[in-house]
Amino acid sequence: MHGRVKIKSTAQQEEEKRKEREKKLKIYVAARDACFSKRKDGVWDDEALQLTQQLLSSNPDFATLWNYRREILMHLETVKDEDEVQKIYEAELFFLESCLKVNPKSYGSWHHRGWVSARLPRPDWARELSLCDRCLSLDDRNFHCWDYRRMVVKMSGVPVDKELEFTDRLIGSNFSNYSSWHYRSTLLPLLHPESPEPPSPSREPPQSSPPPSPQTHSHRVCEEQLLKEYELVQNAFFTDPNDQSAWFYYRWLLGRAEREEMISCVYVSRDEERVAVAFSRPVNAQSVGLLLVLDGQPQRVEWRSVHPRFKHSPVWICDLPPGTISDITNEHNLTVHWTEKPTHRDCALYTGRNESWCRDSATDQELFRSELSVEKTSVLQSELQSCNQLQELEPLNKWCLLTIILLMRALDPLGYEKETLAHFQTLKEVDSMRSAYYSDLCSKFMIENTILKMEYAEVRVFSISDKNLTTLCHLDQLLLVTHINLSSNQLQRLPPQFAMLQCLEVLEADNNSIESLEGVYHLPKLEEILLRNNKISTLADLQPLASCPKLKRLDLRGNPITQTSSIESQLAELLPSVTELLL
Amino acid sequence: QGTQVKDVIIKPDAPSSLLLDKHADYIAAYGSKKDDYEYTLSEYLRMSGIYWGLTVMDLMSQLPRMNRAEIIDFIKACQHECGGISASIGHDPHLLYTLSAVQILSLYDNMDAINIDKVVDPFHTLFGIAGLSLLGDEQIKPVNPVLCMPEDVLQRVSLQPDLLS
Repeated sequence: MHGRVKIKSTAQQEEEKRKEREKKLKIYVAARDACFSKRKDGVWDDEALQLTQQLLSSNPDFATLWNYRREILMHLETVKDEDEVQKIYEAELFFLESCLKVNPKSYGSWHHRGWVSARLPRPDWARELSLCDRCLSLDDRNFHCWDYRRMVVKMSGVPVDKELEFTDRLIGSNFSNYSSWHYRSTLLPLLHPESPEPPSPSREPPQSSPPPSPQTHSHRVCEEQLLKEYELVQNAFFTDPNDQSAWFYYRWLLGRAEREEMISCVYVSRDEERVAVAFSRPVNAQSVGLLLVLDGQPQRVEWRSVHPRFKHSPVWICDLPPGTISDITNEHNLTVHWTEKPTHRDCALYTGRNESWCRDSATDQELFRSELSVEKTSVLQSELQSCNQLQELEPLNKWCLLTIILLMRALDPLGYEKETLAHFQTLKEVDSMRSAYYSDLCSKFMIENTILKMEYAEVRVFSISDKNLTTLCHLDQLLLVTHINLSSNQLQRLPPQFAMLQCLEVLEADNNSIESLEGVYHLPKLEEILLRNNKISTLADLQPLASCPKLKRLDLRGNPITQTSSIESQLAELLPSVTELLL
Repeated sequence: QGTQVKDVIIKPDAPSSLLLDKHADYIAAYGSKKDDYEYTLSEYLRMSGIYWGLTVMDLMSQLPRMNRAEIIDFIKACQHECGGISASIGHDPHLLYTLSAVQILSLYDNMDAINIDKVVDPFHTLFGIAGLSLLGDEQIKPVNPVLCMPEDVLQRVSLQPDLLS
């Protein structure tokens, strides 16, 4: 560690100390220079081993010396027999233990130990595990040790149930243990998987087939085990409601479902001869093999994201060659292929219709996978009951409040809207240092609710005014929206993602604090923008609007920019299509 | 038990203003302590140490007090054949110190001091994204070399490195 401790002492003691340190330094420097010089000369001898050992025992973070030491050891492997190598590496492990005592968090030491253990002809994994136990008993959050333990478990084939017992012991002795809960979360799905045919519980360690790894295996746990886990973790947070680790584990247990990956919407417009495609997650059109087929013919088109800023975007647009679909008397059939998956979506553009789209209905789509959506309703309700009980005992506990909000959203986002808003209010009071986070999170949930209401009503108007919105999100869900009302909120910007509102005709955003309009960019149908009482201050702020060809009406009253001299003529030049300008 | 709370009670007679000059003096003098034991032992992270010191001096508008030419020569001497840069002369190249070196050169606007084409190879990691940005990669967002974070993120959270002086 590189710091120094101040100790008051007499001048003489100071002088003595100084002389001692000077001597120490001389020895150190001599050894270091000798090491460097030997390495330069390509020398891999015993003396080199001794010198590096000397330096590393007091300075185990000196990474270059570990590199040199490994070079020497690898050389020795080629000239010594197996027994000698075994002895050398066992001595190395012994040396490493002393290094770890000096600094149990030295990257160099742990890495070297892992390297040695992997090369040892006859490793003693039981001893390595016991070293980990000892280390963790001194500091149960030493991630170096946890990583090393995971490596040992993997190399030696320790059965998953034994490791689960290990976490039982750790958690039993101290509930506050992120690392143990986290480790548990990786072990449970292996031992008690959710899949319909769980592997038969086996007493022998895995033999020929490699043990399922968290990467290849589902992360879900079977119900029987889950219920036991709920009990375990409830004990933890009822015992100490202020300990975060149990709450986070609880949220993990309740589960977050993976949203199905698909093309969520295809929209086509004759006016712009343009196709817009929305995906369930941001993609890069080039790498997913996006293919447009029109009336059975693959089309050569260039896909672009809604804003040059985004290489990855949930929404991609392409222009069809002029004249392809402009004749309203013609019917067309489009298919968009996500060839990488593979999946596709069809869209029919009928005679007499100017535009068309295709997407799943709101009930099919399950638009917002709640944080806790996997569990059955009955389980979620019972968990909500428990949390509500705790909340009565601990009304100021923020973890409990937040978890209740998440449970309510999983059960019935629209039905619990009032309670959710009330709880957020309480949260901002009890945890005021994070009130901005809660405001943003609440904004997100209110946007989700508004989208749900819009979906159920099957309209293309999105209205969310006077809801204390501090941020925008889920803009990819608003591809089809023609009218948006964001007025009387606390928004500061319409970010580049706003450009996903490709069908937007009217934008109402009065009474906010908007300074940036980056996202009002190439919106082909946008005709009216209402920005009264915001914070638009320079002409540059309005630059993106110049890319909207149909913009006719612009209300900028109550913005600082209206104070700029000759603003009217500047705007006439920047936005020639605007016929109605309110300043 | 729970998570440990390590609050400290600040006494009423504790200084209430940040003693910037003292901090600046300390850092300006730090590099000259070549006969200091801890200084020598921490040689394995020298490049990062230099970066940390320079950043703070920059925030205090006292960067000119540091020896620019000497530091740049030091960086040049630390670039290896493979393109990577080491913490100090004679040490092995490493991603951590390559990044620190790039950050320093960005502060000093002297990226040409090293062989840029060669150095880019160590950067194929997320950690190296900041370095790539500072090296002028057009596909990557501009990164602030002092805070080592994307500029637009800093703007969004209204966090500009305020000069302390």
